[in-house]
Amino acid sequence: MKRMLLIAVTVVVGLMFAAPGYALAADPVKIGVLVPLTGIVAQGGLEMKYGIEMAAKEKGKVLGRPIELVVEDTQIKPDVAVSKAEKLVFKDGCVSLIGVFSSGVGLALAKNIDKLKVPFVTTHVMTTEFYGMHKWVFRSGQLANDQTAVGNVKGILARPDLKDRKYYVLVHDYAWGHDAGKRFIELAKQNGIKIYNENFDKAPTSTKDWSSYISKIKASGADGIYIAFITNVIPVFAKQAFDFGLTKTSKIVSAAAPGPMELEEGGEACYGIFGASCWSWDVNTPVSDAWEKKFWETYKVIPSDAAVHSYVGAMHLLDAIEKAKSTDVDKISGALRGISFNGPYGTVRISAKDNCMRTDAVLTETMAAPPNPFGAKVAMKVLKIFKAEELGPPEK
Amino acid sequence: MSTAVDIILNSLVLGGVFLIVAIGLNIIYGLSRVMNLAHGSIYALGAYASATLMYLGANFFLALIVAPLLVALVGLAIERTVIAPMRKRSIVYTLILTYGLMFLIDGLIKYFWGNEPKFIKLPLFLQDTVPVLGTHYPVYRLATLFVIAATMTGLWLFLEKTKTGVTLRAASTIPEMVSCLGINMKLVHMGAFMLGCAMAAIAGVIAGPLYTIDPIMGHEMLIRSFVVIVIGGLGSLRGAVIAALIIGAVQTLAEFFITDLAMVIVYMLMAVILAFMPRGILGEGRFE
Repeated sequence: MKRMLLIAVTVVVGLMFAAPGYALAADPVKIGVLVPLTGIVAQGGLEMKYGIEMAAKEKGKVLGRPIELVVEDTQIKPDVAVSKAEKLVFKDGCVSLIGVFSSGVGLALAKNIDKLKVPFVTTHVMTTEFYGMHKWVFRSGQLANDQTAVGNVKGILARPDLKDRKYYVLVHDYAWGHDAGKRFIELAKQNGIKIYNENFDKAPTSTKDWSSYISKIKASGADGIYIAFITNVIPVFAKQAFDFGLTKTSKIVSAAAPGPMELEEGGEACYGIFGASCWSWDVNTPVSDAWEKKFWETYKVIPSDAAVHSYVGAMHLLDAIEKAKSTDVDKISGALRGISFNGPYGTVRISAKDNCMRTDAVLTETMAAPPNPFGAKVAMKVLKIFKAEELGPPEK
Repeated sequence: MSTAVDIILNSLVLGGVFLIVAIGLNIIYGLSRVMNLAHGSIYALGAYASATLMYLGANFFLALIVAPLLVALVGLAIERTVIAPMRKRSIVYTLILTYGLMFLIDGLIKYFWGNEPKFIKLPLFLQDTVPVLGTHYPVYRLATLFVIAATMTGLWLFLEKTKTGVTLRAASTIPEMVSCLGINMKLVHMGAFMLGCAMAAIAGVIAGPLYTIDPIMGHEMLIRSFVVIVIGGLGSLRGAVIAALIIGAVQTLAEFFITDLAMVIVYMLMAVILAFMPRGILGEGRFE
């Protein structure tokens, strides 16, 4: 009898191991995290990693198995990101990829997704090319360029101090910057906002000295500046514009939210930057406040949009794996389509039609911070809230 | 008129910062025949050293003097431990070693000071703008021009009017003869490396408040410095001055008038100069 039982157990265990796609209950579900940890946006990349870690800790397990995050540094280089993604999928056995800063990097990964055969959820790529790009490619957590442009144009029209200005458009010279500049100008023109340079300026991402651009803006007579820069560079530009006295006469509207750590460094020179984004720590809802508190207690870093985007995107992905009851690429992707998560900036939904996020957004202005638990001296003060339907785009 | 003044001053500031870094690189190459790929990171180290001194309570002007001295000591340590043991070997060895050193210094900066860019706070009177020929120009940028001019004048006086300077110049062109005269070449090499590093650090200190500082701020500066010394002529200090002024002016004008192609123009200029003058404007190896 004992021998029969032993044989039966051996057969059952053997069959379990032989079954395709089988994983031991204790085997972790591995998620590949691609963030920039070196280079100019390293701080943003670190905050993205924190946001994803926070979601994984909060979730604890998926499919009854522990979650293991395998983090790789993209160095914001498309070729590096693709090879790191291959390592994560083929060597480490990650069942999905998340994160990615920069549209150039995101597009490179998306173009390789047929080879990688895992769902890819970007939490920071803003290019409009991601709408309906591939059945396994998703955007969550972060607004796209067209949504930000709508927010900024609505914000400009709603604010008397921004409305009747002529805008000089200056962007970083890569895919996202070009897309952001184009979207803003199209929409601004349709809404009667004056643009000085429709053939907008494109500055290399390595630009340190903005003096030539500032002189050019001064000479143009434009009294509004629309910038689309990598987040960490926004305060650098603002500081130099402040040094030249440009911000006394001109208002800055930004296509991306500046990083709070860099705002702190810039201090008073960084006051008066407007921009539409998903969230700032000035959003006061119970969920947002609780998230900020937890983030601050865990990492001692001022809660940033980079962190919160990645947190929301990771919650979407982990919820989708649970819902799919599988780590199969098509099943997770199917579960991601139409999924909703109620997080720090309200209900965030991934469109079932174009795989990209729809959510409410806020118009903020940087100014002296009120007393706050993080000791921050600069706050992105919420001026206006936009509903998801206002920002669009229509789902096709 | 005001725009022209802006452009001229901007190009002088930009070219001036390139010049100080490139001169340091050129001094090291001219005297030791070492192409120091960690020079950009030394520039960053100068910026971080001054930021730390100011954080500890020193004022900007004290930091401008002390930070380069501290970085010169770091340079001495590098010369003794990394460069000197490789002196008799091919230049490739020091190229590879200094390339590795660049990443080591960058990593240490990240470890001790963090990843995010830092802004250097200046005394209030340097934060203002002043009217200059119809434009309002930042006081600090004008002060930067003064520091660059003072540094270059000091260097010129040192090399032209002091015995040590004359020895250094002689050692760059006829090292064997200088050695036969009983001059300790080991000290010459150490002095050259320290001086070169101090120059990079001065540039780092003045560039910090202009641009903000970050751990990889030296990478782009290293490339620009190479452009300057290649155009000016490897080892030529006068060539570096001319090249830095040209690069500063061309980049500023290009950014203003043909923004999207600004950097292309700078590198095209380098290609054109090298096509007609392969040894740079003032030729290689003349350490005047």
